[in-house]
Amino acid sequence: MRRTAVTKSRRIAATVAILALIFAAFQTASVFAAGGRGAGEMASDQRGAGRLMLRGKGVADEMPAMQLGTDIKVKVNGPVARVTVTQAFRNTSAGWMEATYLYPLPDDGAVDSLKMVVGQRIFEGKIKPREEARQIYEQAKAEGRKSGLVEQARANMFRNSVANVGPGETVLIAIEFQAPVQQLAGEYALRLPLVVGPRYVPPRSLMNERGEIDLVQVADAANVTAPLANPKLGSKLNPVSITVELDPGFEPAKIDSPYHPIKIVDQGAQKRLITLADGEVPANRDFKLSWRAPSGKPAVGLFKQEHAGLDYLMATITPPAGKQSGPALPREMIFVIDNSGSMAGDSMIAAKTSLIYALGTLRPQDTFNVIRFDDTMTQLFSAPVRADERQVAAATRFAKGLDANGGTDMLPALRAALVDRHGESRNSIRQIIFLTDGNLSDEAEMMAEIAANRGRSRVFMVGMGSAPNTFLMRRMSETGRGTFTHVGTDTEAVREMKALLDRLTAPVATDIKVTVSGASIDLAPRELPDLYRGEPLVLLGRTKQLTGTLKVTATIGGKTWTHSADLSAAAASESAAKLWAYRRIAEIEAQRYSYELDRETADAAIEELGLEFHLVTSRTSLVAEDETPSRPEGATLTKEELPLLLPAGWDFDTLFKGQNAAAKANPELAEQSELLELPETATGFMSALLAGLLLMLIGLFAAAVRRRRMIAA
Amino acid sequence: MTTITAFIGRVRASWPWLICAAGMVIALQAAWIPVKAQVAQIMLEDAFDRSLTDGAARKPWPWADTAPLGKITAHRLGVSEIVLSGASGEAMAFGPAAIADGGSSGVTILAAHRDTHFRFIKDLKAGDELSLQRVDGSIARYRVAGFETVRWDEFGYPANGHAGLLALATCYPFGTDTPGPLRRVVWAELLI
Repeated sequence: MRRTAVTKSRRIAATVAILALIFAAFQTASVFAAGGRGAGEMASDQRGAGRLMLRGKGVADEMPAMQLGTDIKVKVNGPVARVTVTQAFRNTSAGWMEATYLYPLPDDGAVDSLKMVVGQRIFEGKIKPREEARQIYEQAKAEGRKSGLVEQARANMFRNSVANVGPGETVLIAIEFQAPVQQLAGEYALRLPLVVGPRYVPPRSLMNERGEIDLVQVADAANVTAPLANPKLGSKLNPVSITVELDPGFEPAKIDSPYHPIKIVDQGAQKRLITLADGEVPANRDFKLSWRAPSGKPAVGLFKQEHAGLDYLMATITPPAGKQSGPALPREMIFVIDNSGSMAGDSMIAAKTSLIYALGTLRPQDTFNVIRFDDTMTQLFSAPVRADERQVAAATRFAKGLDANGGTDMLPALRAALVDRHGESRNSIRQIIFLTDGNLSDEAEMMAEIAANRGRSRVFMVGMGSAPNTFLMRRMSETGRGTFTHVGTDTEAVREMKALLDRLTAPVATDIKVTVSGASIDLAPRELPDLYRGEPLVLLGRTKQLTGTLKVTATIGGKTWTHSADLSAAAASESAAKLWAYRRIAEIEAQRYSYELDRETADAAIEELGLEFHLVTSRTSLVAEDETPSRPEGATLTKEELPLLLPAGWDFDTLFKGQNAAAKANPELAEQSELLELPETATGFMSALLAGLLLMLIGLFAAAVRRRRMIAA
Repeated sequence: MTTITAFIGRVRASWPWLICAAGMVIALQAAWIPVKAQVAQIMLEDAFDRSLTDGAARKPWPWADTAPLGKITAHRLGVSEIVLSGASGEAMAFGPAAIADGGSSGVTILAAHRDTHFRFIKDLKAGDELSLQRVDGSIARYRVAGFETVRWDEFGYPANGHAGLLALATCYPFGTDTPGPLRRVVWAELLI
């Protein structure tokens, strides 16, 4: 009996061992049959070769011969900041140099002055049509005379050029601009961008319809890109010093600079002098300064200026906020969420988090719908439905199930969102909220669609991820009379969405009308946007004569609200006219983009405004020139494009690993990289299998030893 | 007391067999991984063929949370695999998964295990032709342009879309069996 049992167990063990050995042998054989390391692998292994698609104007590994230092002086006077940016170009080489430098300014910063300083001499810049200014600069350059040029590359991006800087010589280029102080929910803020982030230029945008290289597009792309500095050059490159004279018209409280440490010196009750605690900082992140009024009650600002026979008005009025007189207006909210492939990863998570949060804030009297799109589109409900518990729960489930996949075709979703079944209804407001990274190329179609069919709908853009197409989104929200909010990360998502939705749920002031002594006034923008909680009404207008009273009417919570101000109390201002002109120019740019104006008409209007108000625009540049040549005939001029620092938080190694040399040799265009985490892709089943087999062998061996001992006993 | 003593006695008597059984469980579980990978591909092939005739994605088995997206073929090596949508770890047990899909005009990135579906990656050479047939019947042909070794969290691809790129990603180095931070990425460009 005992003997047969032992024989049986032995037989089982033997069978298992044989099976296991067969399996292991089979697996090992197949691993070796696969060839170990492939023959082709090493031969074609160029580390980072795949990233050669990320071509740039190259990377500067050495300090440029032309060295640059920037000093920024800001004077905040009431609602306007006047900023002087002085760039010192110092030629450290033994030859004659020309340098060009790309730098950012605030979106609403209107450049109106250029001074070129050489030793004791100062040359004032003149405003000229873009091509003429370029010609003046090129001619001075060719004749060996010093010249400086300020051109606009984008509404928020400018390029300075300076020619014929002698060996060891320093030339100062000082530009001045003004920008309105931003005001939101009682906080005043000034934001000075210090560096232009590398822009992605889609290769297809350089082609025309026939697939040929479009030279105009190539020139434009070259204009908005610059070489990048290797971080090892450190902060010696492009150091910036900043001084702010703050005179807000009240005693400033809670002065804060979130990105740079600052020093604050009191200069009387209402004035403060703010400098960087570290003296100089590298130009690699935005400078932001914010302050508050001590009482929390915003000051009423009323300013006027006379310019060329017309009176210009600038007024800041805060309508009554938070007064919930009667029930808030019901809303029809359309959420449009982008689940295309470019959203994959953090952007999709942030978008879903934002949407689910927003769905939770709907009130029973609201109606809503959810639309998702990639290169296809789904409407959750065929028409907006009441936001009862069941429908909101259904929408939340729909949102949770979304995956990022496919191309980005926004137009059908936009069209669907703009369909308004109750177009004439005055008893509800309609808000369309887009959650997207805006990574698409048919931008002009979007503008045109919104402009043509917006009706009473308001379009709010929420930009997801680290590199959304902010230009598209700002313009879409402007055309759709809404706002643009940037949600960077998942952790920011709920906070930013909450701030946006809080503003949107609060009673809005709509139908804002402004008159001066009963007559209408030429406002910029012509159509005033709705106001949300915490937003002040900023008026920029012009009229023949500013006398009598300014009257503002609006609908707040279904009732008419009126505000009157005596214009004789308006303070004199030196910037009202220029700010009006710059706002009007931005409006014309938007109209050109949405095909409301054709290219020629818009260009002509912008050029006229630029020349009249002495402003740098897409059509006008500032140029300064010396009359006498300084570069001796025969001496050659070397051109240098100054490298930019990578914005803080960007990883240089990730962008440029293993391709610096290739990129430097290749003067093509900068492209931006999207990061994607690669999943764990090893099952490791072979080691588990071997471990299992080893265990079995140990067990069998132990069993055999024990069996032998038992027989011996 | 007696029951415990008896239990300990029994364990002492049969521990070699317990070790043996545990080893067998581990070995079978490990062996099941490549078997599952192969069997799933057979079922996926069937689902893919049905999807092709319908033009819409069909699930390979009723409870599947993923569906075939297309079929990747490496012509020189004679390998083809059905690609799944969505890069959950579960999907990658059955086949290569699309972790980014920009269509044939954008960037498509597939990931799979180096010891199952993407074992062929180490044999790919620059110039090899790959093709990706989608469930809608369209076939995009790519040529291998280069290789890249990158940390899993430092991988970047051209943002805003790029005309026709395909990336195949798997763990690196090949031939070892322990998980690590490196990934091997094959870049292929669309042939027009």
